[in-house]
Amino acid sequence: MTWKQVLLPLSASVIAGAIIAGCTPSTPAEDSTTGGTSTTGTTSTSGSTGESTSARPAPKGGPVAIEGNEIKLGLVVSRGGDLRPWGVDCENGANLAMSELEGGKIGDYSVKLMIQDSNSNPAEGKSAAGKLVNDGASVLIGEVASGITATMAEVSMDTGVPIVAVGATRTDLSQKVNNFFRVCYTDAFQGPVMANFAYFDLGLRKVALVTDKSQPYSTGLSDSFRQIFTKLGGEIVDEQFYQSKDTQFGAIVTNLKSSNPDGLFLSGYFNEVGPLARQLRDAGIKAPLMGGDGWDSAELISSGGDAIVGGYFCNHYNAEEDRPVVKSFLDAFKAKYSAPPATTMGALGYDATKLVLDALKRAIDTAKAENKPLDTLMITNAIENTENFNGVSGVITLKGQNGDPLKTALVVEVQKTGFKFAKSFKPEDIKGVD
Amino acid sequence: MKFWGTRLGSIVLAVAGCYLLQTIFQGNPGMNRLVVLACLWVTLSVSLNLINGITGQFSIGHAGFWMTGAYISGVIMKFQPQLKSMPAMQLLLLMMLIAFIGTGIMGLLVGLPSLRLKGDYLAIVTLGFGEILRIVVNASEPIGGSYGLFVEPKVNSIFIAAMLAVITIAACRNLLQTAHGLEFLSVREDEVASQAMGVNNTTIKVVAFVIGAAFAGAAGAVFAHLEGFISPTSFPMAFSFIVLTMVVLGGTGSITGSVVAAIVLFAIPEYLRGMSVNGEPLRFTLAGFVAFAIAGIGALALAKYTQDRVHDSKGKLIRYIGAVVGAIVVTGVFAAIFRNIPALGGKEIGVDQIRYVIFSLVLIAVMLLRPQGVFGHHEFGWHWFKSKKSQETVA
Amino acid sequence: MIGEWTPLIAGLEFSILPQQLANGILLGSIYALIALGYTMVYGVLRLINFAHGEVFMLGAYTALLVSWKLGFTQENVAQHPDINGSILTLVLLLFCSMAVCGIVGVVIELLAYRPMRNQPRIAALITAIGVSLFLQYSGQLFLPNSPPPSINQKVNPIQGATNIPLRKASAETLNNVSTTTAAYEAAKAAFDAQLPNEESRFQLSPTGQALKETMDEANRARTDAEATANSERVEIILPNGQIVMFFSAIALMVGLHFLVNHTKIGRGMRAASHDFDTASLMGINVNRIVTFTFFIGSALAGAGAMMNATFLGTPLTTFYGVVPGVKAFVAAVLGGIGNIRGALLGGLLMGLAEALVAWAGYANMRDAIAFLILIFVLLFKPGGLLGSAAVEKV
Repeated sequence: MTWKQVLLPLSASVIAGAIIAGCTPSTPAEDSTTGGTSTTGTTSTSGSTGESTSARPAPKGGPVAIEGNEIKLGLVVSRGGDLRPWGVDCENGANLAMSELEGGKIGDYSVKLMIQDSNSNPAEGKSAAGKLVNDGASVLIGEVASGITATMAEVSMDTGVPIVAVGATRTDLSQKVNNFFRVCYTDAFQGPVMANFAYFDLGLRKVALVTDKSQPYSTGLSDSFRQIFTKLGGEIVDEQFYQSKDTQFGAIVTNLKSSNPDGLFLSGYFNEVGPLARQLRDAGIKAPLMGGDGWDSAELISSGGDAIVGGYFCNHYNAEEDRPVVKSFLDAFKAKYSAPPATTMGALGYDATKLVLDALKRAIDTAKAENKPLDTLMITNAIENTENFNGVSGVITLKGQNGDPLKTALVVEVQKTGFKFAKSFKPEDIKGVD
Repeated sequence: MKFWGTRLGSIVLAVAGCYLLQTIFQGNPGMNRLVVLACLWVTLSVSLNLINGITGQFSIGHAGFWMTGAYISGVIMKFQPQLKSMPAMQLLLLMMLIAFIGTGIMGLLVGLPSLRLKGDYLAIVTLGFGEILRIVVNASEPIGGSYGLFVEPKVNSIFIAAMLAVITIAACRNLLQTAHGLEFLSVREDEVASQAMGVNNTTIKVVAFVIGAAFAGAAGAVFAHLEGFISPTSFPMAFSFIVLTMVVLGGTGSITGSVVAAIVLFAIPEYLRGMSVNGEPLRFTLAGFVAFAIAGIGALALAKYTQDRVHDSKGKLIRYIGAVVGAIVVTGVFAAIFRNIPALGGKEIGVDQIRYVIFSLVLIAVMLLRPQGVFGHHEFGWHWFKSKKSQETVA
Repeated sequence: MIGEWTPLIAGLEFSILPQQLANGILLGSIYALIALGYTMVYGVLRLINFAHGEVFMLGAYTALLVSWKLGFTQENVAQHPDINGSILTLVLLLFCSMAVCGIVGVVIELLAYRPMRNQPRIAALITAIGVSLFLQYSGQLFLPNSPPPSINQKVNPIQGATNIPLRKASAETLNNVSTTTAAYEAAKAAFDAQLPNEESRFQLSPTGQALKETMDEANRARTDAEATANSERVEIILPNGQIVMFFSAIALMVGLHFLVNHTKIGRGMRAASHDFDTASLMGINVNRIVTFTFFIGSALAGAGAMMNATFLGTPLTTFYGVVPGVKAFVAAVLGGIGNIRGALLGGLLMGLAEALVAWAGYANMRDAIAFLILIFVLLFKPGGLLGSAAVEKV
């Protein structure tokens, strides 16, 4: 045999395949590009300021009617892999919310939460979401990271099943399809809050950014901070990068020291921020440290030691707040899992589930009033019409917000014993955002 | 004439098979995606087999090639949005072709160092290539950086994915049937000897890398359009290891083995995900898991011992049965004991939380009991039936 | 030609180069310590022990759990602020980690690698990957990982940093620093005096706001002065914890060198590494040698893990070993896998490369460039820096 003999049948099969593919009545997804697919770190701030932009495109599939009198919710979390700490916390929060549902029923419907693992991988997240929808889930909840949520949103787009993201802060996700919602705030809100706090309240003018280059969360947060901080008149004197799971930061710490910032914005997760803070202080950098809600974990104080004390970060809620929902949530969580929420995802997972349950109640009422069978479109509309939902992570309004909630952000100060409330920011308080 | 008859027959059969696959799973949205992914894993493992199993070049950078293909497609769609007006199927084929060529060139770049490096040193270079690619993409904002990239339009076609897998298999299999194929094998077996026999080792190695990479790239393009979203986290380093595992588990050099191992290893975690009793996910206590693990290790040790040391077939059979029965008994006994330990008894876990634990145990068990891989160097083919038939007639 | 390069060079801050070199060496010493485990096992068995990173992870967890047993849990430390670790605590943690890792390494070898001894190397490699996955994922069920716990800072009595001044700032700038600092202190005192009259630090009355702005202004003047002083100064600041890590790593490596070159079992190791089969023919109990090698290599990883977890305070997950594992593997290959001195050299070079890449302003591409350097080195020295390029089959 020669090369020719190999190639001939090969090319023949390629051509045959191509011919058949050309006339196969397959199911190509129709083209439905939107304007909102900019994937770079540019931060469109439509979500945070409440300006209503053009209507979001409708999902391609659905609506799916709900048969029988059981409503299934599908939760996708990372039970394995790097995101496990956040995933487990989110799962705990969601389970807590379900256990608070009286009799496990809303009206005539019993509600069931199904949980699938995404193993911290976008492709597996999509498989998990697909399986959940296949098993009859009428609402998807999750994920804690933007990458996985992006693939899950594709499932939502194809099937019409609404999705409520727990911790996906990437700004443009919500622009793809109109059944996408989230309970967290976007990068385009959190970054400006911290920029305002740094500029006006801490009086900083020269800030250096430290970004976890392998995390979209961190990249997006640094970008939005930079954008607003420079607009306010501050200067970003340096930006240094690390990768998740780094432990020694000597090189970037030295670089940061030589750029003499009067404040540092560490946009990564607490896993790296704690050791980084220690090494910054050891190197003699005394500038105040700031960060986003990725800092929220009791472990931050342990791993950061004395170095992290006095740092400020943006959070959804604070244990010392006097809102009753926060107190009851924390008490119930501690009673059920004998520990406070490990990360901010405990509260967000709880809120997402509660919000969905709240919306389900309204959707069922609507269905009854209109005397139509309940379907996913009704649920989507009910979620869309959420107003002043009293969540742990703040009062959430989704109506007219294109999926990105209007919320109040709290800036808290890290102390040896816990996080102390410093200042709260409403969306209208933020300067520099147009 | 007979040659062309068999060939055409095979091609028709393959195309019909793919079409059948498409019609069966088209209506089932859950399975649809899994079938496509399984086809992609088959493509990946067979194409890595060409590099790793057949040519013997130790490469653990296949996730990198996969990523290259996906990103080629994603980046073209981002910067040439007018292409979206093309019919989806043709567009996908075009993208696969471009990714095929583009990743082939990448394979050339990675394959060139293989001329100087061997074994683990080559492995580290290919691993490094995958990592470099991931980090560079992470840091490249215009193509999405760590944010990832939305790929439009989404195309979900079992037919194309299955055809890709079939073509990959056909290409590798047919290659092995030629004199050139023997050259690939000779490079694996002994480089010096093959050179002495007039084989151009350099060309063979590079060609293996180029072809292997190109098919992985085409799979990447299909993946990108299937997902609609790609990001560096979609292609972790662990994927390279998993593809390598598929190749070795199936039997280094056996295409059949690669195919079967790819499907099985892809299916294990997905199957466990859906495993349930009466609609409830299967749950058990940690105590049960620990007991099972201990019993499993014991049974495995016994089986291994039997395989190595016991030579009469009756004794073997008794011991194998003993291993299985013993494992069940030991699991029960230990589970009953461990249930009383508060740290183990109280904690309940779902079966989907130990998906990858079971996955890894399967890996270890198969490798211990059958180090040459499930299929060894053997291939599945028409001759299986032929030989069986001839045996029957003799009997 | 030089003109073209000037902008590139001008971007480099040469006053911090000594510090960056020190950073690189500190980082590299830990890589080297872990790389030794890879290289020793490879030297004897020609097996890449992919589970080595997971042994590292288990070492860190051992240190954590022992420190909890000693009372350094977060709650306990919060309740008893006077609880403090001593050198003895550290030594105890170190020995526990080393012992546990050593035993784990031996058990892994016994269960997973020994049956594969006469099989194709790649099969043993897959078993190693399997063991690695098994430890990562089953560890999630048993080890505390949500939230990722870290070893309390109180465990470690060695805090602070050592400052080695190379060039001092001029008297004029230092003077400037002290005047601006005094001005800032005064403004801060005025603001602090006003603070009780305010609702909170961040909700100020006009008087408070004015005082705050004065204070911020003074603070900026102070930081500017300090910046000038900082840029005039050339110094090396070494965190004490990391100095201890460095010297412990060196001590362990010297110990290993002695063990391999001057003891009977070391001679056995060298013999087995040279020719496994002949060594066994010469009456060396190769199984004992292999067990011992795994014990020592894993114990070194345990030492590295304990020091990393204790002195740096990194939160632990079961994937904690992946990155150090890969880095150390690269270091081992760079130095020439199988060669003990090569591991040291490779580790230090990796550390230095990472520090220098970050110094040059490419921190976002750091690992990519480190890998490029590696590939480049391998192209010219296909067997690593100190290794020999023997023909081998997979």
